[in-house]
Amino acid sequence: MKMFTIIGKYFVLMGNVFTKPVRPSIFFKRVLDEIEQIGVDSLWIVAIVSIFMGAVLTLQVAINFEAPYIPKYLIGLSARDTMILEFSSTIICLILAGKVGSNIASEIGTMRITEQIDALEIMGVNSAGYLILPKMIAAFLTFPVLNILSIILGIFGGYAVASFTDTVMVYDYLYGLNYAFVPFYVTYSLIKICVFSLIITSVSSFYGYYTYGGALEVGQSSTKAVVYSIILILLFNLILTQLLLT
Amino acid sequence: MIEVKNISKSFNNNHVLKNVSADFVPGKISMVIGKSGSGKTVLLKSVIGLHTPDEGEIFFDKREFTKANMKFKRQIRQEIGMVFQGGALFTSSNIEDNIRFPLDLFTNMTKTEKKKRVDFCLERVNMEDSNKLFPAEISGGMQKRVSIARAIVLNPKYLFCDEPNSGLDPQTAILIDRLIKEITAEYNTTTIVNTHDMNSVIEIADNIYFIHEGQKWWEGGRDDIFYSDNKELNDFVFASDLYKKIKALAK
Ligand SMILES: Nc1ncnc2c1ncn2[C@@H]1O[C@H](COP(=O)(O)OP(=O)(O)OP(=O)(O)O)[C@@H](O)[C@H]1O
Ligand SMILES: [Mg+2]
Repeated sequence: MKMFTIIGKYFVLMGNVFTKPVRPSIFFKRVLDEIEQIGVDSLWIVAIVSIFMGAVLTLQVAINFEAPYIPKYLIGLSARDTMILEFSSTIICLILAGKVGSNIASEIGTMRITEQIDALEIMGVNSAGYLILPKMIAAFLTFPVLNILSIILGIFGGYAVASFTDTVMVYDYLYGLNYAFVPFYVTYSLIKICVFSLIITSVSSFYGYYTYGGALEVGQSSTKAVVYSIILILLFNLILTQLLLT
Repeated sequence: MIEVKNISKSFNNNHVLKNVSADFVPGKISMVIGKSGSGKTVLLKSVIGLHTPDEGEIFFDKREFTKANMKFKRQIRQEIGMVFQGGALFTSSNIEDNIRFPLDLFTNMTKTEKKKRVDFCLERVNMEDSNKLFPAEISGGMQKRVSIARAIVLNPKYLFCDEPNSGLDPQTAILIDRLIKEITAEYNTTTIVNTHDMNSVIEIADNIYFIHEGQKWWEGGRDDIFYSDNKELNDFVFASDLYKKIKALAK
């Protein structure tokens, strides 16, 4: 029962988010601010994680494909497909749920308990639309970029392993990268990250927006935001994969 | 004029407001007084719709507010200035941006006009030259003053102040009180002030509403308050030795 109330509340909030926001000029500035906070500030973590994971993936696959009858180009191929199919969308979003999600929930939660949201409402501003919609738009626009970046850097990480170690030949790795490439996998990955971007921002905003109490409750909202974002990402990953790839 | 008709509000089983009615008139300062926890803030927030009253009606110049749709409420709210008990400044913006925000939202002023208006409001609360500071960089009392500047920037028709001078030194408190009085007279605003500071009451109150245990226990003018025989009101007003002495002298 309690779960249905929460889901109901969530959709009511989303209804408010998508009603008329403030003046376009102010709204546009809000979106730019959020693009910086949500997208640009996440670049470094996505970059670091992707390079290292691409490198490690390549190493691990190379070590496990020691047997002579397994063609070596499969190393490049598997690094590529793992990066595209799961890592650059799902795993990156699990990480971003922690970084961006907790940030959003604590920011909005603090605004709630210090009456800043009330102050917005009293000025006649639709606080949900003003605070939450720019975050959702910003994530929706920037996460696909992070996705592509993650794929490229992950593959580059593998390339670095091929160049600097002798576990796999650069030629084999590059051959594998081009072997049996399915362009739709990239589309699939992009669709997933777009959905996840909305999950992270809306769920975290929801928990922040309905914070009551003090600093302790802000912390709890932030934790809930991360946990439920992650659960929903995993669930939708399953649903979308079923829908798109089978 | 704001008419409050029989509003009640409870949270779970805590009946905070019980059947409160009041008429707040323009050009006058209506002061809501009462002990901490008596329901002053809840009353103010119910009037402006941050809490939805369980029962009762509220009219802003004959316009029904409680049951109005959100769009209409937002329209009325653009005519409201509110000073929150904790200031409620936007912590991520500097002071100038805080005060300019309502102007950005609802006026077509040019940049220089806005700047002029912001400086004017800051000057009125004696906070000139703090434009670029952030709320975290100024004291609590200063935050209150900035919050007042933000509330008056659009020349509101209705001004709500929740303990505007708590936490201020006596001199600044009187300055704020007088400022509220000036604004009320100058723009004929309907002003409602929550306080438990008797000095403010004596300084600026036109009409006084004493809230006790969620009910409107007593209502009257500034001079009536010393001659009432309402026990709870007397306990509140003459709580301090100073006021007891004044009362004795008056007799
Ligand atoms: N959002 C809320 N949820 C539940 N109870 C509340 C809420 N807001 C206020 N209350 C309760 O309402 C009562 C009155 O609180 P209120 O804040 O109006 O007091 P107050 O008169 O403004 O006191 P103070 O002078 O200390 O500000 C308190 O018992 C408080 O616990
Ligand atoms: Mg209060």
